[in-house]
Amino acid sequence: MGASKRTSELLPGTLDLLILRSLVSGPKHGYAIASRLKQVSDEVLQVGESSLYPALQRLLLNGWVKAEWGASENNRRARYYSLTASGKKQLVLERDEFARMVEAIQKVLSMA
Amino acid sequence: MKGSLRTRLTRMGRRAMAYWRRDQLHRELEEELAFHLEQIEAGEGGSGLAQFGNATLAREECREMWSYMSLERILQDLRYAVRMYRRTPAFTAVSILSLALGIGGTAAMLSLVNSLLLRPLPYSHPERLLRITGIFPRAGVRYFQEQSRTMEVAAVSAGSDFNLTGSGSAVRITGSRASPNFLSVLGTSVAMGRSFRPGEETPGRDSVVIISHDLWRDRFASDPTVLGRVIQIDGVGREVVGIMPAGFAYPSAQGRIWIPMRLDPSNFVEYWGTEFVPLIGRLRDGATPGEARQEVPPLVAQFRGTFPYPMARDWNADSTAIPLQQDILGDSRGKLIILLSSVALVLLIACANVASLLLSRATTRRREIALRAALGAGQMRIVRQLLTESVGLALAGAVFGVLLGTAALAIFKSLLPRSLPGLEPIAIDWQIVAAAGVLALLTGVISGLAPALSAAQVDLARTIKTGSQKASSGFWTRVRGLLVAGEVALTIVLLVSAGLLLRSLYQLSQVDLGFDPAHVLTVQVSPNPSYCTQRDRCIALYDRLVERAAGIAGVRAAAAANAVPLDGQLPLIPVNVEDYPKTVDHPAPMLWFGAVSPEYFGVLRIPLLAGRYLTRADNARASAVAVVSAAAAKHFWPNQNAVGKHIKASSGQDWRTVVGVVGDVRQYSLSQGLPSFVGGALYVPYSQAAGEDGRMPAAMTLLAGVGSEDLRVANAFRQLAVEQDPNVPVGRAQALEEMVTGSIGDFRSTMRVFLGFAASAILLAAVGIYGLMSYWVSQRLYEIALRVAMGASRRRILSLILGQGLQVTALGMLAGILAALALTRFLAALLYQVAATDFLTYAMVVGVVSGVAVLATAFPAWRAARVDPLKSLRAE
Repeated sequence: MGASKRTSELLPGTLDLLILRSLVSGPKHGYAIASRLKQVSDEVLQVGESSLYPALQRLLLNGWVKAEWGASENNRRARYYSLTASGKKQLVLERDEFARMVEAIQKVLSMA
Repeated sequence: MKGSLRTRLTRMGRRAMAYWRRDQLHRELEEELAFHLEQIEAGEGGSGLAQFGNATLAREECREMWSYMSLERILQDLRYAVRMYRRTPAFTAVSILSLALGIGGTAAMLSLVNSLLLRPLPYSHPERLLRITGIFPRAGVRYFQEQSRTMEVAAVSAGSDFNLTGSGSAVRITGSRASPNFLSVLGTSVAMGRSFRPGEETPGRDSVVIISHDLWRDRFASDPTVLGRVIQIDGVGREVVGIMPAGFAYPSAQGRIWIPMRLDPSNFVEYWGTEFVPLIGRLRDGATPGEARQEVPPLVAQFRGTFPYPMARDWNADSTAIPLQQDILGDSRGKLIILLSSVALVLLIACANVASLLLSRATTRRREIALRAALGAGQMRIVRQLLTESVGLALAGAVFGVLLGTAALAIFKSLLPRSLPGLEPIAIDWQIVAAAGVLALLTGVISGLAPALSAAQVDLARTIKTGSQKASSGFWTRVRGLLVAGEVALTIVLLVSAGLLLRSLYQLSQVDLGFDPAHVLTVQVSPNPSYCTQRDRCIALYDRLVERAAGIAGVRAAAAANAVPLDGQLPLIPVNVEDYPKTVDHPAPMLWFGAVSPEYFGVLRIPLLAGRYLTRADNARASAVAVVSAAAAKHFWPNQNAVGKHIKASSGQDWRTVVGVVGDVRQYSLSQGLPSFVGGALYVPYSQAAGEDGRMPAAMTLLAGVGSEDLRVANAFRQLAVEQDPNVPVGRAQALEEMVTGSIGDFRSTMRVFLGFAASAILLAAVGIYGLMSYWVSQRLYEIALRVAMGASRRRILSLILGQGLQVTALGMLAGILAALALTRFLAALLYQVAATDFLTYAMVVGVVSGVAVLATAFPAWRAARVDPLKSLRAE
């Protein structure tokens, strides 16, 4: 299926997790998600539209987020994404999985 | 993108939804991206995002995500393929038609093989059903039922004709005598009413009958109250106790009634003689087929010892237990396999043809393919595109094939005996349609693979640079040559088969029948057997009928006989012969038994070899006489005069004097005459006739020698018989010649089918050769032009191309002859007086194929010879 991932330097699948996490605090549009990620990560995570929007579509397709059109801060039409119930479940799942992964990587890195 | 099943289902559902509103999806995405870019430019949001990445890529990836990519790609490939098909309609038509022929024929044969050979019999645990080979007197039924430890044994007679009277007009129907347990042994039951009860085989309790669903529907209007009603079968009242379900067809599809097989040891002739019956068995719990096989021969040997009269030592010595399904199919099994292989050959030829045509097209499309490759299509993508084209062709072929298959099925069915159980309801069902689909996919891939691979090997730079379409590698041209040669080889196999059958048919048509069927009409008159218990009444009836028939205007002479040649009957009688010692191996010779009126020999023009014919003076009160056939005379009295010798029925008292010897007649089959265990024919005057059971045959056939077989005479002839007694069923008037032709009807149609196979094969091969040579010429136009420019004569060019074409054909023919020599052995059972290696047939086939090859090569060769060197050279 032509869904090859282009998540720049991110670990594969991490972007989905990050997006889901950023939506916990409430619905956001795409630009806001990207800004939020950049800001919170002290500008380490720069997500471009070529990875962001396919990732959002993927989440939509899987039913983990839903999208609604609304007005932006400057009163323009923007698409707002919010978590669905199964999206929340998925977030927990992926988070645990990620934690396990990080732990494993750290174990490897810190081996004698 | 994996996920739980639920996620996957969600995804599928959403994609399906997306398909209908994808324009909206795209619009929304555009708007969203535009907003994003605007925000970046405005530098709002504090963090100041920079443009990062490629919006077009994002767009494409999103689109892909929402679509069934593989499906869309296939559709795209298909659209492209259809465009290609339109551009080359002739190629497309030839390919689809040839594949349709192959797939349709194979589908039809598959449905036959599936239903008859593979699908288990429609009875419970059919794998436990066996047939004890050989036939046994009724005493054997009881013997095996009591003695067999491995099987529960039943008997169902092969089927004979019965009169059904008293319910509508009198008719003749086919029925079987069966032991009361036959349905439980078969593992099926009646649809309504009950089965026979144990004990209903005893005289006095056997006045019951089970009828078929067809008979119930046709004669009794599906009235359920027929159960319990008494109907007249052969003049005996029998209570209808059961109605079989529709489709029940054992032992034959013609069976309409089943009556109990009487087992009465006190009736010596019936219990030990007359009709011998086949035995079937169901394995008892725990018994294996192997145990049953081992048990049968010793049981047969013991049973042979219980006969009250001497039995040949080798009687049923080769009896064993075989699966019932195999027994039911009998000879049809071999025929089915031969037909399936032949039709598969046609499919293979069609495949090779399409492959070869595609291969040449792949070469002429090199530029287009190179361009596509240059534009970024991967090799896999190109292979897939080309495979889609060939699979598309094959699928279209399958659609037409299934339509053709329905017609083909009717033809193939006509090649098998109509009595074969389960044959009639066979149709092309969804399973076969699915099989045709799979076949199509397979043929598509098989015929498309070589062309696709050859095309994918395009050397990009070179092809585009030179712009030449002929930079094809020698390897694929050779592959193509081999494909065409293979086609020719398979064609030879089919042609030889058809040729051998054709020769057999010719030989059969040349057979000396021993009688003259021209201008003879027949009609069967069949009073109930009880009608003839008063012999005088019966004799008077037939005397009257013969006399009146002779009086019809246009009738030259009339006669009556219990059986006419080639009508399918085999009336036999065991005889004792004066001066002919009985041996343990041949205790009672069997003879064909003809009960005939004296005019019989004249009407059929059977020649007299010695003595005299029967006359009207040989009547019931005169001394007993007989006429024997030349074979019987030679068998019993070699190098002696048979006239004056004596012969009698084994069960009878009176010796008959042989008064004449007549020519041999092909009574039972055109190819064999009489079965090998029958020593010849014995004719007795009807008025003196007594069969093995001492009774005179009641059912007789009237014969009339006529000036011409016109309808008016036939009707008058039949009407005469009908008027005698409305309770006597009268068959339809049939020309004897028609019966002779009919006796080899299935042989004729088998041959026609093979001719059809052969014709399509040779047509396909011609197309194949023609395609190959045209292609070869077009590839070498430059070279040919050069040769012409350098002074080669047109004849030289012509022979160059012809030589090339014939080389391929010769290779194929050689392989084909070898294959035919190896394979036609399996046809031997269908052949008559033609060796499977018949030289003449092979020579003719080689001649025909060479001729076709020359013709198919001639046109491209002629075109090559007319090449204008100037034009061709400049074009390059």
